[in-house]
Parts: sequence; structure tokens; C-alpha cells
Amino acid sequence: MDVALKIWRYNPQRGERELREYEVDAPDWACLLDVLDLIKDKHDGTLAYRKSCRMMICGSCGMRMDGRAILACKEPMKPIVEAGHVPTIAPMGNLPVVKDLVVDMEPFWGKVRAMKPWLDPGYDEVPEKERIVSQQQVNAIHKEALCIMCGCCVSECNSMESDPEFLGPAALAKGFRFVGDVRDQADISRLNEYNQEHGIWDCTRCYFCNERCPKGVDPRDAIAKLGAESIKQKVDHDMGAKHAKWFVTSAKTTGWLRETELVPKTQGTFSALKEIGFALNLAKRGKVPPPFPPHVAKDVKEARALHDLVRTQGREGAAGIVQGEKALSMIEHVLEADPDHAAASRIDPQQSGGKSGGD
Amino acid sequence: MAATEPKHVAYYKGCLASLSAKELDISTQALAPKLGLELDELESVTCCGAGDIHEAEPDYYLHLNARILAYAEQTGSDTLMTICNVCTLNLRQANWQLKNDDELRARVSANLETVGAPPYEGTVEVKHLLWLIAEGDGYEQLKTVAHKGLKGLKIAPFYGCQILRPSKILGFEDPDKPWSLEAIIEACGGEPVDYPAKIKCCGFPIIQAREETALGELIQPIEQASEAGADAIVTPCPLCHLSLDAWQSKLKKSTGKDFAMPILHLSQLIGVAAGLEESELKFKRHVVSVEPMVEKLEA
Repeated sequence: MDVALKIWRYNPQRGERELREYEVDAPDWACLLDVLDLIKDKHDGTLAYRKSCRMMICGSCGMRMDGRAILACKEPMKPIVEAGHVPTIAPMGNLPVVKDLVVDMEPFWGKVRAMKPWLDPGYDEVPEKERIVSQQQVNAIHKEALCIMCGCCVSECNSMESDPEFLGPAALAKGFRFVGDVRDQADISRLNEYNQEHGIWDCTRCYFCNERCPKGVDPRDAIAKLGAESIKQKVDHDMGAKHAKWFVTSAKTTGWLRETELVPKTQGTFSALKEIGFALNLAKRGKVPPPFPPHVAKDVKEARALHDLVRTQGREGAAGIVQGEKALSMIEHVLEADPDHAAASRIDPQQSGGKSGGD
Repeated sequence: MAATEPKHVAYYKGCLASLSAKELDISTQALAPKLGLELDELESVTCCGAGDIHEAEPDYYLHLNARILAYAEQTGSDTLMTICNVCTLNLRQANWQLKNDDELRARVSANLETVGAPPYEGTVEVKHLLWLIAEGDGYEQLKTVAHKGLKGLKIAPFYGCQILRPSKILGFEDPDKPWSLEAIIEACGGEPVDYPAKIKCCGFPIIQAREETALGELIQPIEQASEAGADAIVTPCPLCHLSLDAWQSKLKKSTGKDFAMPILHLSQLIGVAAGLEESELKFKRHVVSVEPMVEKLEA
């Protein structure tokens, strides 16, 4: 088949950016990476891009096709050719471009390193007995463990575009991979670190990360799990956590959001007062509904009773987030079969050995 | 749509349309009969949690949304209509989880019954007003409803996030190339304006906890729509509306630019084209004046 592509070229020596068009003859089974290889081999040896495994496991060939971050090795070209479309290929976003389709991954790795991506088992000497972790406990971090660190989620992260220091979806998903690991004993200190200024509460919930991830990690869900664990563990000093908690308070008292009180409950009364001019302007337009009398939902007693009831069922924190897809049934299974060792419960390091593995 | 039997739908208006965005509820209620929608407003329902309860107490989030779905099921309709992106995602996500896992639904339903609420059988589909209008032959029928039209107006569609992504939960249209708002603008006689930020975030979820980061997101659609010559932006989400309308003044402070970009709810835009009165549109409740757009249309 004849494949036509437009590629954004970037020459770092001259600082020039140019959209160049290529046409190559490629086999029907070719993916985008195969086509790039053909261009480089037969047409233009100066084209720069990263690749390694060619099978969606190394995470090297992240780039953009028509504005979407993708793995070049995962995109079959035949449907695109058949549609008569000429796609535009560009480097990933939110990372500095080195040359053509190659980005500098150092800011990405720096954020991953900041998560302390290694196990902290809480002891220095190896225990006498082997520690067995149940399959169900591994399932709790299954999706996050699928990450191949390709950067596709980071490429389109809307928060990072606005705040380049935001830890971002890949690093935070890695963070949950350790916070949710029953063998790790550093969860509180991790949560305190991830709760800092450019941490979990920076996420704007645009869901581009879930949409782009080629491996089904769902990084936004991992960030929600970190939020849920933080609040469960009372690491809730951040304004984002206070904001989230106010919705719970609202639901179990009046049923509906207590909108006007949300600002002082999030920012504190003093900070909220600094915004008084802004608030008065909104009030003139009816945008600051009076908190009294409260807007109470009919039958709200049911919502209150539900709150008390679900708290007794052992699904607080990340364990309450339904995983979805195949992981879903497995997660439910662990809780039904083994309520004493719910997914998010910790292993006591003093009780090392097979028994603590949750079997 | 009005020509055939009205479609009976359960109507969940959510928090903002009851509070700071009352104009959204008022214009939706005024418009619905013209679109052949019979709204059965749910009363015994609460906040969907707005993503915040999902993050703070996720199991409680699931139960609150299951309760809303259960009360929707009680109306006998197979459709729960929403008018907010965030409500749409929260309800659809819970519905997806409950429909795909019988054991989970059994546990949640048992809990609902314990507190006196109906159980959820899993028969309801959650659909945003935008989808109900855009699907089927809605486009053709909208042309009749929108008799007054939007002639000469350039309208910038702003989708926001949680009506597009994650597509595995939402799935109405291609999240990278959505078409529904453009189709509605055209059916109403307006000219849709294209710009890259129409599918990006307005910053609202973090506007209180991280205002600077949120404003860095918010400026993109406003600046781009403005540069593309839009007379107004239309959005299907009251949170995007609040962010784009009320926080626009803060962009003036940081950039020195006064965009004065009117922001319309979807129901208001169609309402203008359908000839609704100010008492049904409630433009006076907006922070940025809609007058210049209305004057241009009248001229």
C-alpha cells in the first residue's frame, strides 16, 4: 500500500521546525513504526525517532499522530490509508523536543524518581521466613503495574501544560503502585510527599491520561486512589483534600452541595475573605446562593444512613474504587473471600513470614 | 421531535442548576417540551459527588449514584437525562460498574434497601441533553424548533472534559473529533467556530485549590475562541460555564485583556434560536454580558 505521512521535523542546530511530507510503499501489515523505519532506510536517513522492542512493551516510541499521543508500534496504517487520510506525526507534548520526534525524557524520569519508586519493606535484615503475597493483594495494584513509562499520558496532561512542575499522571500512578503494595511500609510518608504543592491535588481531572494510555493503566484513577488513601489516612491538609471532603459533608447533611460554604471550607475563612470583591461581583448575579435556609434534598436521611452503613463494610480508601475491566471481578473477589486482608490492608512487618501474606 | 409522542425521561438536574446556575434549569425546562422531551424531575436524590466524593470516599460515591439511578428506574423511563458533564461521568461510571458486575450491584442494592431506598436493577441509560438532541433525527427536527435562528453569529463550541473522556465510559462520539455541538449550532442557523482547546479542560475542578494552574487552562478556550472571531462560547456543562463566565474577570487581571466573551449554556443557545424570552433564558444571571451577542442577532 502507498502510505503518505506528514512529519514535523526539528533541527536543533538551526532551531528550525518544518512539516515535511513523505510517501512510501509499505506492506499491508505495517504499523506507523514500520513506516518510519522505511522512510529512514529508503528516503531520509536524517529522520530521528526512538524505538526498541516493536511490541508495546518498551515504551520508547511514544509520539503524536494527529494530535493524539500514541505508541508508533501500536498503530496499524491500513485503515488510515483506506480512509485516504494523511496523518500528521509530531513529538509528544509537555516534554522538550531534542530532534524531530525525539523528546527529552529527563523531566519525566525526574518526577518518577521523586516518587521513590522502590519498595520500602520497613526492615533492613531479611526475615527468616518467606513473605507470601496473595494474588488478590497483587490485583490491587495490577493496573498501575502495567505502566511501561512511555509518556503518552504526560503528553496531553492539561494540568502539566499549565504547571510544568506537576508530578503528573505517570509518576503518580507509579506512586500508587507502591502505596497500594501490601509489602510497602512507607505509605504515610509517601502520601505526605505526594500531597505537596505539585502533587495529587494538582490534577484537573481532564482524563486525557486515561484516554491516551496504551496499556490500560488509567492514571487518573490511580490519582483518585491516592486521594482516597490520603483522606483515609488523615493526610488531608491540602486544599484539594478539604475541597473533596466538603462534598462528603454536604451529601450527608443536606444531600446537595453546600456551594457557598465550599470556598471558606477549602481555602480557610481568611483566604476566602481576600476574595470578597470577586464574590460580591458574583453575588450580584445570583451566583452566590445564600447558605440559609439550606437547600435540603428530599429523603436525605437515606443518604445519611448510607454514609454510616458503607463505612462499616471495609471499603474505605483505594479499596472502594472499582477498577473496571478484568481487574474488577478480581478485586471484588478478594474482599468477599478474605475480608480480614482487604486489598489495602498492611502487612505487619513484625509478623514476617508466610502467614502475613494474606492467605 | 415535537411531532411525535413526547419522550418521557427521568431528569437529574444536579447541584449547580439548583444553585448558582439556576438559569440552566430554567432554560432546560422551558426548552424541553419544544424538543419533545417530557421531564420527570427526580426529587429524592442527592449530589453525584462531582468526582470529589469518588476521590474522598469512593464506596459512598458509588452508593449515592446507585441511589440516583434507582430512583430514575422508579420513574419507568429507560433514560436518565443529565445537563452537566460531571454528573454525566459520575453517573455513567457508577452505572457501568454496577451493570457489569452482578455481585457488586447485589451488595449495593441490598445497602440501598437497608436505608429505605429502592434497589437498582440496572435498566437505566444515562444520557446528556446534548446527546438526546444530537442522536437520531434530532438534527432535522431542531431546524423546525429553532425558527428564529442564529443567523450571522459565530459560535465556539466548548465541550469540556467529562462528556468526552474517558470514552470507554462516555462513548457518544470520538473524543478527539466531536461533532454534536457543531451539528446543533448549524441546525440552529449559527456558524460553528473551530479551535484546538474546544476539547480541553476549563480548570474548574481545581479552581479553588490551585487557581493559578486552573487559570492557565481557562485562558486557552477563551483566547482561542476570541481570536477565531466567536461571538459567544456554548458549553454543555454548568461547571465549565461557571469557570468560563465567572472567572473570566480574573484573566483581565493577569493578562490585561478584557475578552468580554459571552458564555452560553447549551439550552440557552438553542433557546435563543427557538425564540425563548429573557424570563426563560435568564441572561441577567451571567457575569459576562450576553447583550452584544443578542444585539448582533437582532440587528
